[in-house]
Amino acid sequence: MEEHLEDVGKTFVSHYYNLFDNDRSSLASLYQPSSVLTFEGQKIQGVDNIATKLKQLPFDQCHHVVSTIDCQPSSFVGGIMVFVSGSLQLPGEEHTLRFSQMFQLIPSRGGSYFVQNDVFRLNYG
Amino acid sequence: MDTDAVSKAFVEHYYSTFDANRAGLAGLYQDQSMLTFEGQKIQGSQSIVAKLTSLPFQQCQHQITTVDCQPSGPAGGMLVFVSGNLQLQGEQHALKFSQMFHLMPTPQGSFYVLNDIFRLNYA
Repeated sequence: MEEHLEDVGKTFVSHYYNLFDNDRSSLASLYQPSSVLTFEGQKIQGVDNIATKLKQLPFDQCHHVVSTIDCQPSSFVGGIMVFVSGSLQLPGEEHTLRFSQMFQLIPSRGGSYFVQNDVFRLNYG
Repeated sequence: MDTDAVSKAFVEHYYSTFDANRAGLAGLYQDQSMLTFEGQKIQGSQSIVAKLTSLPFQQCQHQITTVDCQPSGPAGGMLVFVSGNLQLQGEQHALKFSQMFHLMPTPQGSFYVLNDIFRLNYA
């Protein structure tokens, strides 16, 4: 059960950043109307609003490199808390940005997961 | 319930207790609580407090930079995402850290920590 959780978390994280870096508009498929994103302190709710926010970020290309992934079961049956840290490379920027992000994943129909909660912060300093 | 106010109050209480008397954190965890501390997984209030009180420093001070919170679902839980600095006694430079808490309501109207994940942010 433990291993399964870690595998799900790692698979999800890999899928999430792969979509973010290569096909950002497809991230919408990972959220539902109840989903909430807090991006650098700004709170956004619902698929359309979240997709719009991510699409409008002021860069066309980016590359996430994940350093750490920690997973724990959440209070929901089958829910998973995922805590990520890593680097974000933007084209033309000499230095990579460092970030932390947390997700609460909830099982959706069909055996997949959606993101109920998403909090993103850059790590300055 | 003003989740922002509750989470800020929790964060202040948590870190001031951590910095003053780590053993006092026991009341914030229950048997089902889980802590992942720099990748190490620990379950249950006793084991968690044993881990925290055995960390290799006597004194520390947390300074909080950001606190983000969101409701976690219909059970009244809250997710709290914190970033800040950790100054250890005798160390010239503060460490940077991120931490997430999943708080669940208790019957008495308070909260306990169900999920806790701590990571240092290296440059």
